[in-house]
Amino acid sequence: MSVSIDIDHVVKRYGDNTVVKGLSLHVKPGEFFTLLGPSGCGKTTLLRMIIGFNSIEEGEIRLNGKRINDVPVEKRNMGMVFQNYAIFPHMTVRDNVAFGLQMRGAGKGDIEKRVDDILKIVKIDHLKDRMPAALSGGQQQRVALARAIVIQPEVLLMDEPLSNLDAKLRVEMRNAIKKIQRHIHITTVYVTHDQEEALAVSDRIAVMNNGVIQQIGTPQNIYKRPFNTFVAGFIGLSNFLDAKLQKDGNAHTLHFKDGYNVTMDNLDESAKDGESVIVSVRPEEFSIVPAGERGISAVVESSVFLGIATHYFMKSDDGNNLEVIQYQGEGSHLPDGTAVSLQLKSGRINVFHSDSAETMIEGGHNGTN
Amino acid sequence: MAQTKRSHISFWTVISLWLFAFFAIFVLYPLILVLYKSVVDPASGSATMAYFTRFFTKPFYWETMVHSMEVTVVSTILAALLGLPMAYLMRSIKIKGSALLNILIVISYLSPPFIGAYAWIQLLGRNGVITQFFNQLFHTSFNGVYGFSGIVLVFTLQSFPLIYIFLSGSLKTFDNSLNEAAESLGCSRFTRMRRILVPLLLPTLLSSSMLVFMRVFADFGTPMLIGEGFKTMPVLVYTSFMGEVGGDDGFAAAICVIMIVLTVVMFFAQRYLANRSTYTMTALKPIVAEKASGLRNIMAHGIVYIVTGLAVLPQLVVVYTSFLRSNGGQVFTGGYALQSYEATLFAKDNTVIWNTYFLGIVAIAIVLVMGVIIAYLSVRKKNLLNSILDTVTMFPFIIPGSVLGISFLFAFNSPPIVLSGTALIMIISFAIRRMPYTVRSSVAALGQISKNVEEAAISLGASDMTTFRRITLPMMMPGVLAGAIMSWVTIISELSSSIILYTTANQTLTVSIYTEVIRGNYGNASVYATILALTSILSLLIFFKLTGRRDISI
Repeated sequence: MSVSIDIDHVVKRYGDNTVVKGLSLHVKPGEFFTLLGPSGCGKTTLLRMIIGFNSIEEGEIRLNGKRINDVPVEKRNMGMVFQNYAIFPHMTVRDNVAFGLQMRGAGKGDIEKRVDDILKIVKIDHLKDRMPAALSGGQQQRVALARAIVIQPEVLLMDEPLSNLDAKLRVEMRNAIKKIQRHIHITTVYVTHDQEEALAVSDRIAVMNNGVIQQIGTPQNIYKRPFNTFVAGFIGLSNFLDAKLQKDGNAHTLHFKDGYNVTMDNLDESAKDGESVIVSVRPEEFSIVPAGERGISAVVESSVFLGIATHYFMKSDDGNNLEVIQYQGEGSHLPDGTAVSLQLKSGRINVFHSDSAETMIEGGHNGTN
Repeated sequence: MAQTKRSHISFWTVISLWLFAFFAIFVLYPLILVLYKSVVDPASGSATMAYFTRFFTKPFYWETMVHSMEVTVVSTILAALLGLPMAYLMRSIKIKGSALLNILIVISYLSPPFIGAYAWIQLLGRNGVITQFFNQLFHTSFNGVYGFSGIVLVFTLQSFPLIYIFLSGSLKTFDNSLNEAAESLGCSRFTRMRRILVPLLLPTLLSSSMLVFMRVFADFGTPMLIGEGFKTMPVLVYTSFMGEVGGDDGFAAAICVIMIVLTVVMFFAQRYLANRSTYTMTALKPIVAEKASGLRNIMAHGIVYIVTGLAVLPQLVVVYTSFLRSNGGQVFTGGYALQSYEATLFAKDNTVIWNTYFLGIVAIAIVLVMGVIIAYLSVRKKNLLNSILDTVTMFPFIIPGSVLGISFLFAFNSPPIVLSGTALIMIISFAIRRMPYTVRSSVAALGQISKNVEEAAISLGASDMTTFRRITLPMMMPGVLAGAIMSWVTIISELSSSIILYTTANQTLTVSIYTEVIRGNYGNASVYATILALTSILSLLIFFKLTGRRDISI
C-alpha cells in the first residue's frame, strides 16, 4: 500500500530565478526521506511541488509511476504538516482532525472512530475537546500530525515541523514522529535545515544546496563519507586542512605543511601524484599525543567540558583553528596553553580534490544518485 | 532613590486626577444631566416618566426608533455583504489599479455620509439626472429614491469601505498555510471560504459592523436630507431639541437616553459575540494576490470596479456640481462657471474654512496629548483610578454625536460653567468624541513595546519620566501620529454634534455644506464639499507618505 515517489528532472523558476535546477530523486515505498539543506536551497520549494502548491515548470513527478503534475492539490491525497502547524484556530482538536475526513464525505461514526484512533496514536486523545490556543507547541504539533495522517494519505510531507519547538521538545517530538511513521509505514518526505534532526529521523537523506542535490545516502553514509566539501562542512563538524598528495604505485601519502604525513589506503584512481587536496577531519578523528611526537603541532586555546567529552579549540603552528574532541577516559584534561601533537585516523578522514571539491575516497561516489 | 520614586508616583497620580476631573466635567456631568432631565419635571422638580411614556405611546415618536433600527440593521448587513467580497477579491486576486482603487474606497469613506445623500438626490432624486433620463426614456414617473431606500443606499455605499478597510487589515495577517492545509485535506475553494476564511474573519467582521452600526445609527444629516417623511431618532432628537416652538429639553433628554441604551446594548452584544471567537494569527505565509484568468478574472474586475465606482460617485458629483453655472441661487442654468467658487471663497466671508482647520487642529492636539497619557497610565500604571479613567474615556464611543451635543448644551449653557457658543465647546466635543479611538490605538502601540525596553532604560539610570519621554513616547509615536491623521479627517467631517453646538462665529465646513444644501444652494454646498474632500485626500496622501503604508486603520 505504500507508494514510491519519482522526481524526474524537475525545474522551478520564479521569473529569471531558477530555484530547483533539474533535480531527480527516487523515494522508496514506506521510506522516511529527508531533504536537508541551508535555507534558500530549494528544499521547501521541492516539497511544495510534490504536494502541488507550486507548479512544475519542467520535468515530472510520479507516484507509483503515475504522473501527478496536473492533479490539483485537493485530489492528490497527500498529508502535510506545516512549519507553523496551520491548525485551524476556530476548531477544536477533534474538529481539526476530522476536517479532512469530512471533506472526503466519511460517515459520522466512521469519522469519530478514526479520529479517536489517530488521537490515541499521537497520544493526545485526552485533549480532544480543547481549542488550539489552549495547547502547547508540542501538542499542536501532534494535532497537525494527526490531522495529516488521519486521511490515510499516500504520502506524508513535513515542512520543518520541529523548528518552532524548544530544544528538548524537538528531540522528544522527532522520536515520536519517527515512531509513528514506522508504525503506519507511510512514505514520508521531511524537510529540515537541522542536520542533527535529519540524521536522527531519516532512512535516507538528500543534501541540497542552491537547488541541486549534493548527495543522497543513509545518515551513516553521509556523515562518514561526504561526497564533497559542502556536505562535509554542512553535516557535523569538519576541520579542513590543505595537503599535497604523493602517489607511489598504489600507495598514497598526504603531506601536510609542517612535515607531518599520513599514509592512505582507500583513495581511488582519480587521485593524482602531486595534486593539492583538502583533507576534512572530524573532531573525533584526531588523536591527541604529547608535543614533539609525530603529528600536527598545535596549542590548546580554550576548552569546553561537555560531560561525555571535552571539546578543545586549538591553533596549529601554521595558523589553522582546529576543533578536537577528547572522550572521557581518553586522557587527562589539557589546560589552556598546552602544546600537543595531533595525529589523524587515516581510515576515517576524508580527502577531496581541491579543484572540484569532490571526494577521492574509494566508493565515495556511491549514492550521489 | 526611594525619595525620587515616591515623587514620581505622585506626579503620575496628579496627572490621573486632572484627567479624571476633565472627563468628569465633560463626559460624566453632561450625561448625568441628560439622565436627570429625562426623568425630572422642570416645573415641579419631581420625578416623572411622562417623557418616556410620551415616546412609547405615540406612533409618531416610537416609529422613529423602528425606522432607525431598520435602516441601521439593513445598511450594516448590506455594507458587510459588499465589504467582505471586496476585501477578499482585492487581497487574493491581482486587480489592475488596485492601489488607486484602495485609495478611492478610503476617500469615499472619509467624506461625511450626508454629502452622499445630497449627491444621490442630484442623481436619483425627484429631479435627479438619472431619474429624469429614465422617466423620459420609458415614460415612467419614478419619483426618486427617498425615505428608507434612499437612506439605505447612501449608508451602504458610505459604510462598506469601513468593513473593507478592517477586513483587508485582517486578511493581511491571515495565515495562508491554513488555506493550504485545508486544500491538502481535500477542501475545494468555496468550502475553504465557508469553513476557514469566513469563520476566522468573523470577529473583525463583527467589530467593524459594530462601527458601521454606530455610525449609521447616530447619523443625522443623511435621513434629514434624503429621508423626507422617514424620520429616524437623530432627526427626532434634533427637531425636538431645536424645535421652532422652543426646544423640549426633557423630551429630547428622554430620546437621548433611549438612544444611549440602544447603542450600549448593541455594543455589549457585539463584544459578547466577538469575544467568544477571537484568534491571534501570525501570517507566516500571507495571502498573495494572484492573477486570475478567464471568467473569474472578468467577474472580479467587474465587481471591484463597479462597487468602487458607486462609492466614489458622490464625490465626483460634488466636484462636478461645484463648477456648474447657476442663476446665483438654486437653479443651474447650464454650462460651467467658477461662479460658485466666487460666491463662497471670495465674495462671502470664508472663515468657515479657517474655523474648520483651527478647531480641528486644536482638538487633535488635545486628543493626542491626553490619549497618549491615558493609554500610558492604563497600561503601565495600572490602578483603580486609571482603570476607571480608561473606562470613562471609552464612553463617547457609544454616545451618538447629537446626544453629546445636546448634553453639552444642557451642561454648559448656564452657570457654573458657561461655554455654549464658544469655539472651546466645539473643540472639546470633537476631542472627546475622538478620544476612544486614540486611546485604543495608543494602547495598541504601547502593547507592541516590550516592557524590557523600558526596564533597560531604567537600569541604565533613566528616571520613570525620562524613560517615558525618551524611550516609550518616541516608540509609540509613529502609530499614534498615523491615528491622529485619521482622527483629523474624521473631526473635520463631523456634523451631528457641531450642527447643535455651532454659532455663526465658529461655523465649520460640514455645517456650511449642510445649511447650504437645506437652503437649496447646491452650488455653494458643492464648493465647500470639494474643499473638504481635497483636505481629506491631502491628509490621506500625507498619511501614506509618512507611514509608508498603502492602507489605513481607523
